[in-house]
Parts: sequence; C-alpha cells; structure tokens
Amino acid sequence: MTPSPGRRHLHLNVNIFQSGIFAGAWRAPDGDPRAAFSLDHYLTTARIAEAAKLDAVFLADTPVLTPDVAHRPEYALEPTVILAGIAAHTRRIGLIATASTSYNEPYNIARRFAALDHLSRGRAGFNAVTTAGPAAARNFGLDQAPAHRDRYRRAAEFVETVGELWDSWDDDALIGDAARGVFADPARIHTIDHRGEFFRVRGPLNTPRSPQGRPVLVQAGGSPDGIELAAAHAEAVFSAAQTLDEGTAYYRAVKSRAAALGRDPEGIVVLPGLSTVVAATRDEALERLNSLQDLIPLRYGLDRLAALLGIDADALDPDAELPWDLIGPAEDVQGLQTFFTVTTDLARRERLTARQLIRRLGGGLGHRVVAGSPADIADTIEEWFTAGAADGFNLMPDVLPSGLAAFAEHVVPELRRRGLFRDDYAGATLRDHFGLARPPVVRHAPDTAEVLAR
Amino acid sequence: MTRQLSLLVNITGVGAHPGAWTLPGPAPDAYVDPEHHLRVARTAERGALDGVFLADIPALHGDIGQGPGQALEPSMLLTYLAAATERVGVVFTGSTTFNEPYNLARRVLSIDHASRGRAGWNAVATFFPGAAQNFGLDTVLDPDTRYRRAEEFIGLVHRLWDSWEDGALIADTDGARFADPGRIHSADHSGEFFDVAGPLNVPRSPQGRPVQLQAGASPQGVALAGRFAEAVYTPLLDEEAARGYRARLAGQARRYGRDVSGIRLLPGLTPVLGSTEDEARARFAALEAGVRADARQTGRVARTLGLDPATTDPEAPLTEAQLSGPPPDRLPTGFFRTHVEIARREGLSLAGLAARTIGGHRSVIGTPEQVADDITGWWSAGLVDGFTLLPDALPDGLDTFVDHVVPILRQRGVFRHGYTGTTLRDHLGLPVPAPSYEQKGAPAR
Repeated sequence: MTPSPGRRHLHLNVNIFQSGIFAGAWRAPDGDPRAAFSLDHYLTTARIAEAAKLDAVFLADTPVLTPDVAHRPEYALEPTVILAGIAAHTRRIGLIATASTSYNEPYNIARRFAALDHLSRGRAGFNAVTTAGPAAARNFGLDQAPAHRDRYRRAAEFVETVGELWDSWDDDALIGDAARGVFADPARIHTIDHRGEFFRVRGPLNTPRSPQGRPVLVQAGGSPDGIELAAAHAEAVFSAAQTLDEGTAYYRAVKSRAAALGRDPEGIVVLPGLSTVVAATRDEALERLNSLQDLIPLRYGLDRLAALLGIDADALDPDAELPWDLIGPAEDVQGLQTFFTVTTDLARRERLTARQLIRRLGGGLGHRVVAGSPADIADTIEEWFTAGAADGFNLMPDVLPSGLAAFAEHVVPELRRRGLFRDDYAGATLRDHFGLARPPVVRHAPDTAEVLAR
Repeated sequence: MTRQLSLLVNITGVGAHPGAWTLPGPAPDAYVDPEHHLRVARTAERGALDGVFLADIPALHGDIGQGPGQALEPSMLLTYLAAATERVGVVFTGSTTFNEPYNLARRVLSIDHASRGRAGWNAVATFFPGAAQNFGLDTVLDPDTRYRRAEEFIGLVHRLWDSWEDGALIADTDGARFADPGRIHSADHSGEFFDVAGPLNVPRSPQGRPVQLQAGASPQGVALAGRFAEAVYTPLLDEEAARGYRARLAGQARRYGRDVSGIRLLPGLTPVLGSTEDEARARFAALEAGVRADARQTGRVARTLGLDPATTDPEAPLTEAQLSGPPPDRLPTGFFRTHVEIARREGLSLAGLAARTIGGHRSVIGTPEQVADDITGWWSAGLVDGFTLLPDALPDGLDTFVDHVVPILRQRGVFRHGYTGTTLRDHLGLPVPAPSYEQKGAPAR
C-alpha cells in the first residue's frame, strides 16, 4: 500500500560494502571475491535497490590500504567514480558517496558532487567524514591524523565552504538567449570569498546550480563532535546503535540539538546501520548466520577488534572476556569513537568473549546485526521506526548482491503490507525520496555583482 | 605493428567555437547535460576513434556571459560515459597543482577499472590564477615550481599505480587468504612536495597502467612530456611548428633514455566542415556572428597576442611590433609563441590568423575531402601520429566528421575500420610499461 499523505514513512539505503558486510562474505558460496574491483557488482546491486524502490545506495570510504587486505577486501574503487557509473544505468535511486574532509579540498569536492548531481539529474548525496588513523595520514604527508576535535573543526568549515560553492550560481543565472548572444548573467554568479581557519576559496563554482540546489549533505559519526556537526549541517545521518535505548538516545540528541540551533528536526533523516541476514524462515536465517560467522577469518577479527580498542592483539584471548583493565574510556579514543562505544557496551552488557563478540558483529565494525524471518526483520525495523530511534536504516546486507536480493524479495513486501514503505518513487531526486525541500540559495558573502570575464 | 592514425576528440562542452551554443540544436544547458555528452561519445565510438578527452580548469574561466566551456568535473563525466560505452577510451585531465597524488592516482585507476582499461590521464600543471584562488593561494605558483611539483607528482602516481602486482589478489576462499601483502608494494615516497606511504588500495590496471598524456607546450612542459608522456596534446599551428616541436620532444625523450617513437603526438585540430568550401565558410561565419565582437576569434587572437582588438585592423597583416609581445600573463606561453610563429611565417592578418586557429588550435575550414587531405598529409609526412579533434560545434560537428571524413580516411588505408583491441593502450598502439618495482632501486614492502 502507499503510505498516506503526511504520514511518516521509512527510508532505506543500501550500503554496498564490497562483497558484503560480513568479513567472510567474499568466501561465501554466493559471494564474489572480486566484487570490490568490479563496477558491474555495484551496478547489479544498485539495480536491485532501484527495483525495490530504496532511497539510495551508499558507499563508505577510507583512502588507505591496511594489512587487513590479507584477510578480506577493503575499500578499493573510489566511491564517486562508482556512483558516476551507476548514474549512467539507473534513473531514480539516490547516490551517496563518502569523501574525506580531512584529505580533500572543498573546491574539488564541491565540483565532483555538483557534477554527479547534474549527471544523475538530482540524485547525489555527499557523506562528509573525517578520516582517522595514522595509516591514512601517511598517504597525505602527515605522520598522524589531526586530533579528533581538530578534524571536526575542519569538517565543519569544509561543509560550509562546499555549501557556499553550491550556492554560487543563482538558480536563474543561465540565460541562453542566442538571439542576443547572452549565455549567462555574470551578475547572478557570485564569488564566495571564503576566508576561514582552514580554507581560503574565492569561487564561484564553474557549473550552474545543480538540480537539487545542493546535493544532500550526509554525515556519519556518533561522537559528541559528530553529533554537533550533524545537528548543524547534516540532512541525513548514518549512525551506529546496538540497542533501542542507544538508538532513541542518539536520535533525540541529534534532533534536539538541531532544534536548538534553529533547524527543523524533520530536516534531518536519521538512519542507523543495520546488518541483515534474511531468509524465508527464521531457522534458515540463523543457519545462514552461523555459516557466515564460521567464515570470518579469526585473525582478522582479533586484529580489527584490538585496533578498535586501542590495545595489542596479543592481549586478546579469543575465549575470554575483553581485558577491561587495558581498555581506556571513549573520550581518549582519537579514532572511531562511535564504534568503540557501541562495541564495548555490547561486550560488557552481555559478558561476551572476544570470539563471541567478533561473531556477533559479523567481523564488522559495530553495527547491529539482525538475522531472522522477513517478519522478524520487519518487526525490528518497525519497532525502531515507531519508537523514535530511526527514520529508516542504512542496510548492510550480509553478502552482496544476494543479501539485498533476499531483503528486497522477502522484507520489502512485508514492510509495504504494514504501510511503512513506498510502493513506488513519488519523486525524481534524492531530496524527494528523503522528503527534504530543495534549499534556496543562501548568500554568505556580500553581493558584489562581480563581472567574471577574465 | 604497422603505424596507425590516432584520433581523440576533445569534448569542449558544446564545441570549440564560443558561438557553438548559438547554433540551432542543443539546448543552452547541453554543456552540463549527460545526454548531450553521451551522444558525442557514442558518435566517437561509432567512428572507432581512440578516445574522448576532457580538458579541465578548476575554476570558472572564460567569459561565461558569452558562452560555456568544459565545466562538469571530468572524472565524473568520463566514468558516466565509460559506463555507457564499450570501447572508446576516456582521457581525464587532472591538475598536478591542485590535487593530492594519492587521491588522483586512485581516482584515475578507478576509472580505468570501471572502463576495463580505457582510461588515460592528461597531467597538467594548472597555470590559471583564478584556479589558485580556489585553493588557498593568492596567485599561481611560478612555472618552475609548478613543473617541479608536476614531475614529482607524476612519478609518484606511477609508483602508486604499480602498488599491486598482478598476482597480489589470491582470493583463496578455502584458505581465507584474500590478498598477498608481500606482493603489494608501498611507495614510501619522500620528496620536495610530497610524503606518501602508499600502497594504493586499487589493484593494477587492466592495461598495466592508465595511459599518460601531457599537454604543455612550454619548455618545461616538453621536458615533462619527454620524461613521462605516452601521448601529447598541444597546439601545433603549421608544419614548421610540428617539425620543431617533434624535434624538441625527441631531444627531451632522449635525455630520459626514451625514443620519441613511443610518444603519440596528437596536436589539436578543429575541422569546420561543409559539403562545399562555401558551405564550410558560411558555417564559420554563422559561428562568428552568433557572439559579440570580443568573443569572436579575431578578439581571441588579439588577446593571445596581447593586442587590443578595438584598435587592431583585422584585415591588415600583423606587424613585427605587434608580434613581439610580451605574452599576456594569464595565458600559457605556448599559445602565444605558436600564434606568433605562424603569423610571422605566413604574413597573416588578425582575421586570417583567427580562421586558422579557432580556439587556439589549428583549424581547417573546408570539405570532408579537404580535411581528410590535411590529416593524411600531416600523418604521412611523419609530422604527427594523429590529432585531438576539437569539433567547432557539437554534436553535429563530430557527426559530420565521423560520417564523412572517417570513411575517406579508411578508404585511403589511414584509419582503422573498427577497434582491434579493448583498451586505450591497444587503440593507441602503446606497450604495457614495466612496473616500477621491477626497475632498479625500487623498495619492496
């Protein structure tokens, strides 16, 4: 059924995490070890998502290769490139790529996403992240990543600058009057003259304002700095929460902070990550979960967990609880604070051994994993959605594309039956899918009506 | 392998002539419309051209009031085009001045994988002051600094492209071994401009490496091309200029132990086509009439020479005083020098020079037969390996070329009847380069 007008309805993205979110997905019988290097894999997955009328495909990213590649695929093809390829073969599905505010220049990023928005006719989203860790830093001339707080200060200025560039052309700047030989009106194209702590950018952008006005700004990060950034700027948030209580607390924190900053809380779509293991029945799903857990390379899981906790991998006994005396508080973590918190809370709450914890997380980072029948999955989605813990989810299927195909075949119809999810797209742009308004041009710099003939 | 003609097409928005958008045909926003570009790319593929090429300056440039230029960020547009085509190459222009090597190396190699080995990178040391101001600088860096940075940048990108050996991906599902870190090489680069550890997180290219192009005509640009380029795109306005350029390129290549025969020289060429010579001239006149005087080619040539178009007689032969410079500081010096050389040699007027150099590259106004004669003449004389076409107006300028000039070139045995390979390297007849880690002094991880 079609959700009635005015009624809140669910938003679903699919996070195309290479062969699938499970660390052993590439080893699964239905997995593809070469998925991370194949545009076709991303295209196939995006087409399934579009046929199911999902809001968007989402691509995470970190610009680095780590020794973990011995055990599983890592980020490979650059996300905006993948999405430009998907744009050529899809018509409706939203296209959200992650790009680092730590290791890019605002002008380059503003252009790439504006181009993607033009090419997709209004389907682009920019997930602005800060990049942690010394390994990535060493690819960009630094020995260490800047401190957490400094990365977020740069991120805030970065997204502000990008927004100014996206607004540098008035919506009506392109005239195209061949009879008079007037192509554009330079008085409606504005330099931004941005001068801040991190960036000096003159502008304007060299393309007309994009179909969505601005590509959708997405943010991922549950730390206090991340919540502040999301509340101030984000239009969609990709978050991580293991329990309903964590989910509702985060949801309230972001929305109330946004309201305090004078924004409409409904102008931010909160989408926790949700790893799904779906089959026709609960027993089949649990069997699939168990076999996928068996495929997680244990060495990889231990290394990854130790790095997240900030301890030596040798200090982890697979069959003992975590060495709590070695693990510091979240505030001291300079890397992935969100995942540190959800992971340690889960381990402490359920007194899990390292091995059990790794299996519970699918070898992944710390997003919630649910396995069950279509009704089970729909139940938990509905519960979080109605309890005010989520406006929807960033789905991370166990294995791709098969895990998404199973979700589309079994869970999406169940969500529709409950009146939670759309039968068809109501609009053409990602903003339409998310229920976000097209933003008017905001002029930051004095209107100097400069002439740009150079 | 027998020598073959190579043809790239530079999609300059809606055409190389600033009046292109005023012709009947594409809508004003065609220059940011994916369908317009896709039509051009498909026409190029229909003609079995080697590749589509996108130039780039990361700033609003030119006179946007008068007409558009190439604007959409090229890595996005080229990937879009590659995803919707099968064979035609895609050449990305990326600035060595305003990018990080790791990011650029990754993006180009990603396009190469997405296109199954059809990508090339045209490395440019951006000169445009307006671009510098978009990246925290007051003005552009001096040429020596820009080219030293470009040299370090390109060498580093090649090292990053060579991070993964061909056998590095094991994908042993039973043994749970995905890749072999012992066969993935870090760059461990520390230089004047960059410190980059690597390795890159993208495996080796389907064509060994993306094809390296270079576009500078200044002495520093030629040196850079001699060291790194596998193909060169540059304005060469007459045969004399081509001979001189090729000799300089050969000299620079020798300095780095390379032979110029391994570098495809593909200067710009703007054909203005008509079924008769009069028709072609009428097309040029219509393009000129579409825009105001200062956007016409006479105005452009005057600015290139540092002259005031309002006070320069367009029909009088240019005098030595008018040709003695100095070159305007906002244009690349190569453009100034090449224009002066041809005007001097042929005693051209401003209008004469304008018709020969539309958009700053060599132009030929005439019938398909005449354009084919010109191309065949240059190619047979061994002056060039082919051309980078800059059609006057798109999409019809390329339609006419593919439908009427390409058949003549095929009839003469100069150009292929269809693709014989799958990669850009195949199309250009270029060998796969040996990976850096097999060259001496390369550190293993």
